[in-house]
Amino acid sequence: MPDVRDTYRLPADSDRPEPPNLDAQRRTRPRVTGRQVTTRRLIGALVLVVPLVWALGRALPVGHDIVNRGGARLIGDLLGQALSPRLDGDFLRLVLEATGTTLAFAAIGTAGALVIGLLGGLVLSDVAWTHRPPRTVRAVRVVLRGLLVATRSIHELVWALLLVSVLGLDPLVAVLAIALPFGAQTAQVFGDTFDGLPTSALHSLRNAGATTMPAVAFALLPPASPLMLSYAFYRFECAVRSTVLLGAVGVGGLGQELVVSLSSRNWDEVWTLIAAVIIVSALVDAWSGRLRADMAVASCSEWSAGAAPEPPGGVAPRRSRSRWARWSALAIIPGLVAAWLASGVSLSGLTSSRTRALTGGLVEDLLPPKLPAGGWSVVGDAVLDTLAMAVVAMAIAVLITVVIAPWAVTTRAQGGAPGSLPARIARRMAWALARIGLLVLRSVPPTVWAVIALLALFPGILPGALALGVYTGGVLGRLVAESWESVSPVPRNALLRSGVPGALATLAAVVPASAHQLLTYTLYRFEICVRETAVVGIVGAAGLGRLLSENLNLFRFPVVSTLLIASFAVSVSSELLSRRLRRAIRA
Amino acid sequence: MTASAPVVVQLEAAGRSFGGTPALVAVDLTIRTGERLAVLGPSGAGKSTLLALLNGGLQPSHGTVSLFGEATAGLPARTRRRLQRRVGTISQGLDLIEQVRVLHNVNAGRIAEWGTARSLAALAWPRTDERAGAALESVGLDWAIHERTERLSGGERQRVAIARLLVQRPELVLADEPVASLDPTRAAEVLTLLGRVSSDTGTLVVTLHQPQLARDHCTRAIGLRAGRLVFDTPIAELGADQLDQLYARG
Ligand SMILES: Nc1ncnc2c1ncn2[C@@H]1O[C@H](COP(=O)(O)OP(=O)(O)O)[C@@H](O)[C@H]1O
Ligand SMILES: [Mg+2]
Repeated sequence: MPDVRDTYRLPADSDRPEPPNLDAQRRTRPRVTGRQVTTRRLIGALVLVVPLVWALGRALPVGHDIVNRGGARLIGDLLGQALSPRLDGDFLRLVLEATGTTLAFAAIGTAGALVIGLLGGLVLSDVAWTHRPPRTVRAVRVVLRGLLVATRSIHELVWALLLVSVLGLDPLVAVLAIALPFGAQTAQVFGDTFDGLPTSALHSLRNAGATTMPAVAFALLPPASPLMLSYAFYRFECAVRSTVLLGAVGVGGLGQELVVSLSSRNWDEVWTLIAAVIIVSALVDAWSGRLRADMAVASCSEWSAGAAPEPPGGVAPRRSRSRWARWSALAIIPGLVAAWLASGVSLSGLTSSRTRALTGGLVEDLLPPKLPAGGWSVVGDAVLDTLAMAVVAMAIAVLITVVIAPWAVTTRAQGGAPGSLPARIARRMAWALARIGLLVLRSVPPTVWAVIALLALFPGILPGALALGVYTGGVLGRLVAESWESVSPVPRNALLRSGVPGALATLAAVVPASAHQLLTYTLYRFEICVRETAVVGIVGAAGLGRLLSENLNLFRFPVVSTLLIASFAVSVSSELLSRRLRRAIRA
Repeated sequence: MTASAPVVVQLEAAGRSFGGTPALVAVDLTIRTGERLAVLGPSGAGKSTLLALLNGGLQPSHGTVSLFGEATAGLPARTRRRLQRRVGTISQGLDLIEQVRVLHNVNAGRIAEWGTARSLAALAWPRTDERAGAALESVGLDWAIHERTERLSGGERQRVAIARLLVQRPELVLADEPVASLDPTRAAEVLTLLGRVSSDTGTLVVTLHQPQLARDHCTRAIGLRAGRLVFDTPIAELGADQLDQLYARG
């Protein structure tokens, strides 16, 4: 087919700026009235409050016992052992080995996610195609986008459950359960990253007759690489946490040891393992955070909001080559090789005839989807439980954030704000405590929080929401604190100088800006929270996750596929809703 | 230049509109090997549009544009790329890759020649071969081969873009306002360089805002105004009345 489309991009009209026609803007732009603002606020408040009231009503049914008094004693036992963790040599060796396994799984899983992300990102990005991509590519893209959304909407743990039924307890399960959903997410982010870069260099190479592949590699990869490296390390952070979670299905590492110790109620071991999880998590966070700060391209909060940050002024960010970044980049390949060798992952499991037979069998078993006993109402109840759990969990997370995050803002603790020496020291201490507190909340996997909550509370929405809420509080608190660091102190200082008392100045100048960020991240985390209800469901809380794991254990695969479809629908619609609301806030 | 030199580009009643608004209207133009053509005209006259047509990356909406004897409209992508390989283009924004070493930008000029495998290899292990070294030397940047492009000054970056052009060994060089942001000395240097490039390899088309630079460096000038060709003369006959007509208000 002859190519009749243009590849040449003319230079921007920078040499003849259009004079801004203010009159026309004034005429065409609708005026916002005070009443409209009030209405908008009211609607906003209702959108937040009504679901919360509904969810609380569902989570706290009247006339039922909530607290399990027998279990409350177990929590006492657990706490009683806090100061005497198990520290003998044998057990420490086991912990060390498990730590290695966890890190290895996380590293290989992340690497796999990056490969998927790079390839998928190129297909998804518009710049990688000359103009309108050919029809075949567009068709592939539609399918791919759907596939990526579906892959992403299934939680790592559910992936692991499904993979276990095909591969058995192979290390490959952990790796794939990380690589697939993370890869789907990465493809989305990399696609956006490519599309956000300046494209003039790419077009000029194209117009010198270069073909797509090398032109993209030359012109896009160098400016994108610091962003991609930064994202890779952010993903690795997440992968370490997820691998610990995956322990719940028995694929090895710290998470599995934790589950074993918890279920056999060896509380002293639990404490050692929790300490190990927290330390590993803290070290990885610190390393990756330092690296991302050095490359100065994106903070964690920017990445986790799901999109590549806009390069300032449309210019791709500068790559600063700190020693940290360089050594870390150099360590990637040997690290991966070591991880591969240490974890005993082998791809042979993928191609074995047993796997092939089981995969075929699984696909046959899953189709056609069937309703569980009890029909639609059971599915509907589970969906509502899931949503209620996510809403209550988010409320708990926001509560934790509002209480802890203000103390965790680094600029506030370190800034040259006035105050006597003791006051400044106290502020530093509060900062350290708040940071450590948030770290502990998010490092202990939600499965563990759920098991603990289920000791004290009867199964249902509440223990799940509590576990998820505590965990999400740790994540949200950190994100929000990090984003609050960029809230400008200038307006508040101006108020202070004009004699306004400190608290009032904060209320007027800092709170509105901060509230906006809190709201944005809350909505964003809500999406993730909906997906993560599967996790606490699997250990027995409530909702779709619980129904899913029950039916998987009973090998009722047709029901499982119904539930997967329901999870997918809930996840996608909450994502759309959250995105819609976030856009409304920005407007 | 003799009228018998081979024709490089031929426009016959060529025009281009963007969404119904004409940017270039019915231009007839023949450019022969060895010519150095200055394109003059106020902003918005259609100079960049003309260069884009000459590159083959933009299709005319009326008339025909032939490049090295082949009409550029409706070519299969592969044929179009083969033609474009013979055209070296420096656009208004330079279009350098900022975050990489100078050598990488120079090598970018050879992707089309190298093909995929070799380009990717050069990306992973950038090597200085003779051609890249010679190109940088001839623009006076041999010292900067391993510098990061974004650290260079405007004039130096301009010369990096010329070095990229040199390794491509084009038969036709298109330069869109290559001296717009340079001081007079640098501007003269750059045009001298472009003149040298094209005397080695063929033909030069350059858009300019200063008629004096055209007189010093080119053999022929055309004037564009509101998308129309208003004059086309050998440089010796470029007169004040033509320029007045070109830049007059209203
Ligand atoms: N991609 C485009 N889309 C719409 N209009 C364009 C586009 N490129 C150029 N134009 C218009 O075409 C006219 C000529 O532009 P251009 O060739 O860039 O002029 P010059 O380079 O002489 O300043 C201008 O009116 C410009 O706004
Ligand atoms: Mg122009």
